[in-house]
Amino acid sequence: MNLIDRYVHEVGRHIPRRKRGDILEELRSLLVDTLEDHFGEDPSESQIEQLLKEFGRPRDVAASYYPQSQYLVGPTLYPLFRMVAGIVVAAVLGAQVIAWGVGIFIAGETFSVLEMISSLVNSVPNSLGWVLITFIILQYFDAKPYLEEESWDPKKLPEIIPGEEIKRGETIVGLVFGMLFLALVTFFPQWIGFVTTPGGKFYPNPVILDNLLLIRISLAAGVGLNLFMLWRNRLDLTTRLARIGLDLYQVFVLGLLVIGHNRWLAARSSGGLLDGLEAIEALAEGGWELVGMHAFRWAFVVALIVTIIDILASIYRLVRSQLKRDFSVRDAVVRIE
Amino acid sequence: MENTQSEQYQKLTQELRRGVLVLAALSQLKEEKYGYALISSLAERGLDIEQGTLYPLLRRLEDQGLLESEWNVEGSRPRRYYVLSETGRNILQDLTEDWSQLTGVMEVLLKDGGK
Repeated sequence: MNLIDRYVHEVGRHIPRRKRGDILEELRSLLVDTLEDHFGEDPSESQIEQLLKEFGRPRDVAASYYPQSQYLVGPTLYPLFRMVAGIVVAAVLGAQVIAWGVGIFIAGETFSVLEMISSLVNSVPNSLGWVLITFIILQYFDAKPYLEEESWDPKKLPEIIPGEEIKRGETIVGLVFGMLFLALVTFFPQWIGFVTTPGGKFYPNPVILDNLLLIRISLAAGVGLNLFMLWRNRLDLTTRLARIGLDLYQVFVLGLLVIGHNRWLAARSSGGLLDGLEAIEALAEGGWELVGMHAFRWAFVVALIVTIIDILASIYRLVRSQLKRDFSVRDAVVRIE
Repeated sequence: MENTQSEQYQKLTQELRRGVLVLAALSQLKEEKYGYALISSLAERGLDIEQGTLYPLLRRLEDQGLLESEWNVEGSRPRRYYVLSETGRNILQDLTEDWSQLTGVMEVLLKDGGK
């Protein structure tokens, strides 16, 4: 019977301790009854083996008695886990923002994107880990939460707006970077520029400093639009038109920046798009500023081209979605008739 | 990977049997029986059940108040005996009526084939 003991013990390992005793007693009784019925009172080792194989893997047997034991956080606890995890992450992010605000504006600490990212990388998984550990313990003791279910009303189902789902991930990334850049141009515009060598002389970009207000408006509008899109969660006529409007404004701002750089470079006889290469050759004679401004101009030219392509693509999608909607409305009308 | 026809059949027939298992088990527990005796009783009448399915089911029905159980240590070894509770008896009666109605409806449905 040694094999039976080992089998029952192994099943028990996958069942919570306080549920174990009764289930294992019953399982042993069933095994012995079955053995006796199939092979008589004195079964051989190989007959026991055969029976245990028929019964199945200990883990599967335990799962059939106690399905919850297969989860770190089971289906009963999962909705509560998700809710608590969401609240905790939101609270941690909120606390971080407040801590940064206090650090920068009250304690006068320096602003560092790297430090911000590294503290987020630490705090979010850390707090989520504690939530998870708590729920694993609750799961182990088979805690059953009481969640009052809201009554369900079909009238509250969201309206179907013709359009496409937005790409949430992309929008959130855009929002985060938009906010970071906005913070940068609002609080530390003098930091936008270039250095000659690490720790060397820093040159702020004069063209950016001249156009700060327009850049801030552009970034703030981008953040606002991304928030609006997350709220609407659909690409419909309003969001598409708003996106095109913002892109047009950004083309205007980028155009001004490119023109500003052109003027600045032309005043130093380095206005051509490829003059940057000559400037690099002249580095030894202190051409760093020229190289930096050429790099900025190239970046803005690329951004300008990308934005123009984005506008054209948005217009194409807008027209296509409107045509599709017209067709589907017409189809619906025909069907009703 | 696509299931073969026989795998699909196996799955569907398993689901079908799972559906009737509660009624089958309740029907045999008007008098108290221990698990293996119940499995044998069902098998003798043509309903084979995997052991892994029956025991958790018995526990669930007990938790729901349809069955009562107690350990009997009088025989050669301790065994847990299950029997219908008062609630279980009433529910079995209702379920039996539902079942008769359902089999009647199914017979009609399967015969006319939707014509």
